Amino acid sequence: MSAQPRDTGLDGAALDAALASVWSARPGLLGWFTTVDHKAIGRRYIATAFLFLALGGVLALLMRWQLAQPEGRLLGPDRFNQIFTMHGATMMFLFAVPVMEAVGVYLVPLMVGTRNIAFPRLNAFSYWVYLFGGALLWIAFLLDMGPDVGWFAYVPLSGPQYAPGKRADIWAQMITFTEIAALAVAVEIVVTVFKQRAPGMSLDRMPLFVWAMLVTSFVVILAMPAVVLASTALILDRLVGTQFFNPAAGGDVLLWQHLFWFFGHPEVYIIFIPAVGMVSTILSTFCRRPIFGYTAMVLALVSIGLLAFGLWVHHMFTTGLPRLGESFFTASSMAIAVPSGLQIFCWLATLWGARPRMAVPMLYVLAFLFTFVLGGMTGVMVASVPLDTQLHDSYFVVAHFHYVLIGGAVFPLLGAIHYWFPKLSGRMMSERLGRWAWGLVFGGFNLVFFPMHILGLWGMPRRVYTYQPELPWAGLNLFSSLSAALLALGFLLFFWNAWRSARKGEMAGPDPWGAPTLEWATASPPPPWNFSRIPVVESVSPLWDAPGELKVATGLRLDRRELVLTSVMAAEPEARDSSPQDSIWPFLAAIVTSVMLIWSIFSPWAVVWGSIPVVAALILWFWPRGTPEDES
Amino acid sequence: MRRMLLLALAVPLLQGCKRETRDLRPDPPVAAALDGVAILPIGIGGRPPEVYFALGKPYRTNAYQLSEGKRLYAWFGCPQCHGQGEGTARGPALLDGWWNYGPGLETIYLSVRDGRPGGMPAFRSRLTNDQLWQLAGYVQQLGAYSGGAAAPSRDDAPPTRPAENRAPARFAPLEP
Repeated sequence: MSAQPRDTGLDGAALDAALASVWSARPGLLGWFTTVDHKAIGRRYIATAFLFLALGGVLALLMRWQLAQPEGRLLGPDRFNQIFTMHGATMMFLFAVPVMEAVGVYLVPLMVGTRNIAFPRLNAFSYWVYLFGGALLWIAFLLDMGPDVGWFAYVPLSGPQYAPGKRADIWAQMITFTEIAALAVAVEIVVTVFKQRAPGMSLDRMPLFVWAMLVTSFVVILAMPAVVLASTALILDRLVGTQFFNPAAGGDVLLWQHLFWFFGHPEVYIIFIPAVGMVSTILSTFCRRPIFGYTAMVLALVSIGLLAFGLWVHHMFTTGLPRLGESFFTASSMAIAVPSGLQIFCWLATLWGARPRMAVPMLYVLAFLFTFVLGGMTGVMVASVPLDTQLHDSYFVVAHFHYVLIGGAVFPLLGAIHYWFPKLSGRMMSERLGRWAWGLVFGGFNLVFFPMHILGLWGMPRRVYTYQPELPWAGLNLFSSLSAALLALGFLLFFWNAWRSARKGEMAGPDPWGAPTLEWATASPPPPWNFSRIPVVESVSPLWDAPGELKVATGLRLDRRELVLTSVMAAEPEARDSSPQDSIWPFLAAIVTSVMLIWSIFSPWAVVWGSIPVVAALILWFWPRGTPEDES
Repeated sequence: MRRMLLLALAVPLLQGCKRETRDLRPDPPVAAALDGVAILPIGIGGRPPEVYFALGKPYRTNAYQLSEGKRLYAWFGCPQCHGQGEGTARGPALLDGWWNYGPGLETIYLSVRDGRPGGMPAFRSRLTNDQLWQLAGYVQQLGAYSGGAAAPSRDDAPPTRPAENRAPARFAPLEP
């Protein structure tokens, strides 16, 4: 096999030309639909998720406008129901989970020093399915068919008797789309992390963000089946008259809540754990020292991932549980504060005595620390049954989970966007605009949501579309609504900053922050093959510990897309393997899958007839085409 | 060509709008106008009020209105005489396709509103105009030979018969 060209001994320019000829996407629109480059798909995923963030934010503003005064007239009860459902569903299923996975799709292969994500075509398929699922939900909403049953869709209110029409089915099927997309990405990330790490990057040299994405992916793989089961049973109840949730026929209403929260609580950690990884990464770079207690941090991540499955019942304290159950789930809910607290102290210890560089990403990390600790405190409060019984379904809970989700995930995410923007676009985001946006977002957020704690303590229930002037809530609601304008302005500035910086920002160079991890070892933005030569890693902070040139592996073929497989624990090189070429079939398969899923809202026969094109598309997707990548 | 394509796309979409809107409480003038049925002197057949068409015939095409009709059917004692549509010794069946006073929606509306000789009571003073239409729409779709685009599903109750949305899946003109 001497005919195969290898990269041994080639100089830089010749090597890059050879790599470009096998790794580059086709030019033009066709290339846009066929690319399997994890960076292109990751960017797309992130942009789409932020579009959904903006849409969900508009809905939040509409609700704040409606609630600004008693007896508001902007929205009627039916529209309000749709809007709070859409807000929750969009933010949880179309923004928070996908955006975290998207950042993982973009960064994990770069951070572990490989050339593409594992199963890159599945990755493309995942994006299209996610996009079509989001479009399904939003087009339905614009047609006045938006789900109106809450983002949790409790039966019996979402069941056949009380939710006529197709609104609840739209919700349940949108979940199916996001399940498919999320499971696909989770599998890719697990395989990428386990088998494609750069030689020498043993498990204890993996960046914390990669650890976080690994744990998250396992949580996705374990949590999603519960909601697959629940939403499928709901669709069957509604469409073909099964009786899963009908107590009169031996079904069980609470079964829904158990299945949903067995997914729904880990979902919170699916959103939060990547944020932990982002915070650790940013903190370490801007303090210019490795994170304090690396092993403790990893163990805390893993134990949060495990504990996440042991506390779903705390969402159901008011449904009437045995005392022992209440005590157990109170204890397990409080137990999660232990690994979370451990992480907080590790971060504080990293900050201790360091002189952190106060750039915008670091500011978001500080905002995160402050806000997330507050949200965690109220979390411990509502974990205790007597208090939860009082506060259940009140605005206190609304305040609590916005503190945890925005403070715990959105702030780190905004910091991460500022931090990795130079890698994504090759340009820096404006520091001045970034500081203004940070001030408005952080200040506006606290002004909007802090009063909601008090409103909840004063008895204001969640999900009400209006309230009477006699009730004492008008003042704080007006204050909260006015502050929402500040928060919205902050997000507008952020979007403007990203838009403008992508075009006119200062050029960044490969490593503008002086960061330690591998993604900064390549150009910004990285070429389609990520690394001209696969790096060899000898420490947890390779770019700090090996200044100058990284060691690299050579001997890879240049006539096909090739990367290095390594062993799971020690990352010893095991084999060279091919990485699939671009293909249109993931896109087409996503279209026929979407047709089947949407059709099945209306007729059970869609599952039979609709699966034929799906099978055909999959056969063509996997059909061997005699390319060098097909060789085993 | 492109315009035709857009139109072809827009029609089902607009259909979708009407199918799923939820008018929880009609405007008072609309509710009042809903009573204006023009009826033949024999008390059978006639013409629904203009406003019924202006609303887009919601009482047969809108899942929410139909399911409200189903709840009213249970709440206002209809099963006492008509059972689950199969009829009893006291009242005729609604499922068998034989309508004593004709199958028109406005006639069913009048039967419910004013009652009929032989024991059918009048519900004029017990239900609002739009509720009467909801009930009439549900009763008419109970006895329809073909499934509509919109139908209520099963209740959370012991199953006694297939749910309305399990009816024949063939689409037919809505007015029988």
